[in-house]
Amino acid sequence: MIAATLALLLALPLLVWTAAIFDRIGTGRGATVLGPLRSGAALLLRPNTPTEAPDRLNRLLAPGWYLALALVGLSVVPLAPGIVASDLSTGLVLWGACEALTVVVVFLHGWSPNAPLPLIGAYRYVAIGLPAMLLSMFVLIGAALPAQSLSVLAVVEAQRDLWNVVRQPLGLPLFMALGLAITLRGPFDYADGAELAGGTSAEESGPALAMWQFARAAMLVAFSGMAATAFLGGHLGPVLPGPLWLLLKTLAVMAATVAAGRFFARMPPARMLTLLWVVLLPLSFANLALVGVTVLP
Amino acid sequence: MTNVLFLAFSALAIWSGWRVFRVDSMVRASFQLMVSFIAVGLIAVLLAAPYIGIATIFMMAVEMMVMALFMVMFMMNPAGLNPMMMVHQHRFSIAAGIVAFGGLVLAVLLSDLPSQPVPEGADVVRALGHELLGPSMLIFETAGVTLLATMIGAVVLSARSGRYGDSDAGSVPPGLTPGGEPAGRKPENGGGHHHHHHGGH
Amino acid sequence: MSLLSALARGAEIPIFAATGTRGLALVERLARRPGLRLVASPRHARVLLVAGAVDAAHQRALERLHAQVPPPRGTVWWQAPPLFARGETVAGDDPLPAIRRAAMANDPDQRPDVPPHPWQGMGPHGQGGTGMMGGNPHGRPMAMTAEDIRDGLALDAYTARFGPFLPMLPPGLVMDLTLQGDVIVSAHVASPPFDQGPEGDRPAPCAARMLRLMGIGPRAARARGALLALSKGSGTRRRLSAWLRGEEVTETPEPLPDALPGLEWAEAVLWLASFPPSRLRAACMQGQAA
Repeated sequence: MIAATLALLLALPLLVWTAAIFDRIGTGRGATVLGPLRSGAALLLRPNTPTEAPDRLNRLLAPGWYLALALVGLSVVPLAPGIVASDLSTGLVLWGACEALTVVVVFLHGWSPNAPLPLIGAYRYVAIGLPAMLLSMFVLIGAALPAQSLSVLAVVEAQRDLWNVVRQPLGLPLFMALGLAITLRGPFDYADGAELAGGTSAEESGPALAMWQFARAAMLVAFSGMAATAFLGGHLGPVLPGPLWLLLKTLAVMAATVAAGRFFARMPPARMLTLLWVVLLPLSFANLALVGVTVLP
Repeated sequence: MTNVLFLAFSALAIWSGWRVFRVDSMVRASFQLMVSFIAVGLIAVLLAAPYIGIATIFMMAVEMMVMALFMVMFMMNPAGLNPMMMVHQHRFSIAAGIVAFGGLVLAVLLSDLPSQPVPEGADVVRALGHELLGPSMLIFETAGVTLLATMIGAVVLSARSGRYGDSDAGSVPPGLTPGGEPAGRKPENGGGHHHHHHGGH
Repeated sequence: MSLLSALARGAEIPIFAATGTRGLALVERLARRPGLRLVASPRHARVLLVAGAVDAAHQRALERLHAQVPPPRGTVWWQAPPLFARGETVAGDDPLPAIRRAAMANDPDQRPDVPPHPWQGMGPHGQGGTGMMGGNPHGRPMAMTAEDIRDGLALDAYTARFGPFLPMLPPGLVMDLTLQGDVIVSAHVASPPFDQGPEGDRPAPCAARMLRLMGIGPRAARARGALLALSKGSGTRRRLSAWLRGEEVTETPEPLPDALPGLEWAEAVLWLASFPPSRLRAACMQGQAA
């Protein structure tokens, strides 16, 4: 447990840097590898912006809480058979709690500056984030059924003969929809979008903004690790050592998520709500029913 | 160690529960309540009920988020950052709260509470699952169907398409005779316009 | 600290572009230049770039924008006469050297650093008068609930002036909007958008601006999904597909106070962005003359 925690904490900054590199590939901004470090350093040297009558505590702490939720979510991912930072018998439910609290944290981030555009971003995000979270819960239940356990270790062990992405083909795409939502990216970026001039981050600058962007990338790492574990078999794989397989699968999911974020356009919120409740949630129910039927005998 | 954690979480739950009534904004009150529930959920994890504890945290986060959102929508105080007085009838509530607390403390101290430590390595989640689908199935299935009926009812009541037309156009039923008065009960005059004035606060 | 400064020296410069008359075409040229990045909020910027002439009526707004860029800040006036004595002017086609110099500069404040409204608290909870409903807390009227225009609920209404340099609205457009959540309840045009000339109506940059509001870049394959993402009925889809085919759009919008109420913020912003700047300006000026 201690070893896994240390390994995760040491690997996190490097993986966050990799996520930032993925974000830059294809945008034509150049300086792909050192660019994130340079922009981050420049941001850290800028001052924090005060607003009039904000909620000081939440304004100060929201990026820290976002990072903490990313770390707690990452802690349930097993690095090797038996090596996991938090050995809970209900790891999947803990991941769900992290997703729910992420919606709360993004709302607080937008509510605390006491400004209109951040607040609108916060409202809209809650309306979209809550149903997106329901999607992920149904597909994760589908991942727990073959394992007959809510523990993430058991979910990985149950994939020794067949990966969950084959057992429930809709599972990984639906889970990636949630990943886009909790990392505030692309078609689900209702919190920090361009049509709100930066949304919940509009009134933020300097170290607070740098911390928020770092936490966003850390949440992407946590989400990719969870998706790789629940659907792609985690640390299972033939020749290479377990943690290396996990790393490769996490990077693959990260790249796919970033690409999906750039590929799909962001709909107006009312349309996205209709899509979520009328199309995606019934699909996730059907997905769960299918898994249940195949696992039953 | 467990005792220390239990005392810490209990203190957090009581303190944040008290803060619900002392903060000056609806959003802060909702989230202080959430913190209180999170502390109680963590106590449940200490009591070897990990699923119940973490599911409590999960559900309370969602519920308090929705409550905070409704507060911001309907209160005459957008974003909840204008300082306002959040409580009504303070003296009566403080007295009732102290009496209830005293009563509960007496009940806890004077009753004979069981002492059944859960054995190490017991598969509590499996036991919970068997309980839900075995002896307690009737309760949970009934609750589930009731919740579903409530959700459908809420959606039907708030949907724009009423039974006889759009609900914001009145959705009145057709007349009993062709071209006659609409059938059914007519609402009182000004039935839809309630202004809640929290005057005098 | 020195490692940070060494790293930061090579970073790309974040710029907030305040677009003036005929400035949209100028700003589009900067969108893909390496070494600088156009940001959505002045708080994220290091340099304030005023591209295109801004008339004196908006001087106050421009000064406020300058104050919102966190210090140390620099200012560059690109093909724009300076409205206040900060930063340097660039008359030619390449503002990059001036931007680099501005990124090292440290403009003093243009506006005094005082709160915008005087404190008028009297009641025990900071509100402006006695009791809950009285007076002007922090100098602003107490928000009251108002009927939702789409159904019978009573929701909080928020009235404010939006514009002229908001990045998602047409540059120069100043509107007094009443919002309930993100639904526009009433709109009143206080000032029409700036004239962008004929190059402002070209299909490719107009489509790129709209797609940027939807979070994707202007490549054809992705743009197919963008058409499906827009809601039907307001003609936004039709106009975007015309731009993506390379045709100019010649529709004139109906007056904004009639078209905007009932739209959500994202839909309203996309609707405004789907009209060529010259037509939108014509409709707003007609509305003002009427």
